Amino acid sequence: MGLFQRKQDTQQGTPEEAAAVALLFDDAFREELKDRGRLHFERVINENAALFKQDLDATVAHVNTELRQRVARQLDSQFEEINKVNAQLKEHIAKQLDDRFAEYDKTLREAQDAALQALQRSAQALEEQHRQLGLALERSIASQDAMLTGALEENKARIASIKDAQNVALQSLSQSAQAVQEQHQQLSVLLQKGVSDQQDMLVDAFENNMAQIIEHYLLQAVGDQYDLKAQLPSIIKQMEASKKAIVDDIAL
Amino acid sequence: MTEATATHATYKLPPNVVSKVDLAHLISDAERIDNELTTSAVHTRTNTAIEAELSTSERLTAFLQVNDLQFSNNSSDRMDIIRGLRRLKDSAPVVHMTFAVEADYESLGQLVAWLRSNVHPQAIIATGLQPALIAGVYLRTSNSVHDLSLRGKIKGGRDVLIKELVEATRG
Repeated sequence: MGLFQRKQDTQQGTPEEAAAVALLFDDAFREELKDRGRLHFERVINENAALFKQDLDATVAHVNTELRQRVARQLDSQFEEINKVNAQLKEHIAKQLDDRFAEYDKTLREAQDAALQALQRSAQALEEQHRQLGLALERSIASQDAMLTGALEENKARIASIKDAQNVALQSLSQSAQAVQEQHQQLSVLLQKGVSDQQDMLVDAFENNMAQIIEHYLLQAVGDQYDLKAQLPSIIKQMEASKKAIVDDIAL
Repeated sequence: MTEATATHATYKLPPNVVSKVDLAHLISDAERIDNELTTSAVHTRTNTAIEAELSTSERLTAFLQVNDLQFSNNSSDRMDIIRGLRRLKDSAPVVHMTFAVEADYESLGQLVAWLRSNVHPQAIIATGLQPALIAGVYLRTSNSVHDLSLRGKIKGGRDVLIKELVEATRG
């Protein structure tokens, strides 16, 4: 430390003085002096620090008190302002709410009135419709009644006519059955006659065709078996038989 | 060669001249010979005669023989014969004979010989074929027909045949 650093000798003494000083102020003595100075300095520092602390505590207490008072005053004023603002705000909100409520009441009243009017109109319309439906139903029932009565009468007439037609049809059927029976008898007679005619026709056809078949058979069987030489005597013989007729023909 | 003494009305036809076609061939042969003789006469007159032998057909030779005729150098006599043959071709009575089979020439010769000896000496035949006749001949002249075929006989007896068939089928 510079504080306890050995100071430079500023006075130039004699060497004997210097040697006496050196002998008095040896290292042990110097170290003892340093310890004594250090203790003294610490004691001074501690004393000053205690005083300073005491002053500082008093100052802090004073400042705290002042600060508390000031803060209390400011808080009071702030609280007053806040209360004031709150009162104004409450008053304003109450007023607005009153206005709103009044408006809502008005609107609600109007809506209620409109709804009531609409309900009344609907009720009147329903009543009118109900009345008209009743009238239409009465008219419809009356017309249905009339129509059903007409249909019933018409059906009665139809049934009566159907019965008449059935009677006529039964008579016609009985007549038809009789006619069919007569036709059946006529057909039977005609059929028997037809069968007889067809039988005769088949017999005639058989007679004619059989003759032709036999001729054809003879043609097939005999035709190729005799040449003209073999037939010549027979031909001349027949020509002899017809000689007179041939001569007469040529002579004409 | 002698002159022609017969006329077409008295001409006799040989057996190998049966039909009108044969008669036409006979006339054609006669005309050919006449032409050759006429040509020969012209060559003789112009001294350009060519030695050529006349060849007469068997049909013409037979005709000349049966009629006792000869082709002379006189062309007018030859023309009389040819003219007579042409008239004969037009006037000869034709008998149409239809057979069931093909007629051979020999049989036709016999038939025409019978016709010429029994009906007319200048008769000729026109033949036909009809197998439906079965057998025999269907003879037709210019005026009438004579059905001498087996078919004609069967047809004539058809009523009898039908009657017998019906009796047979009806038991």
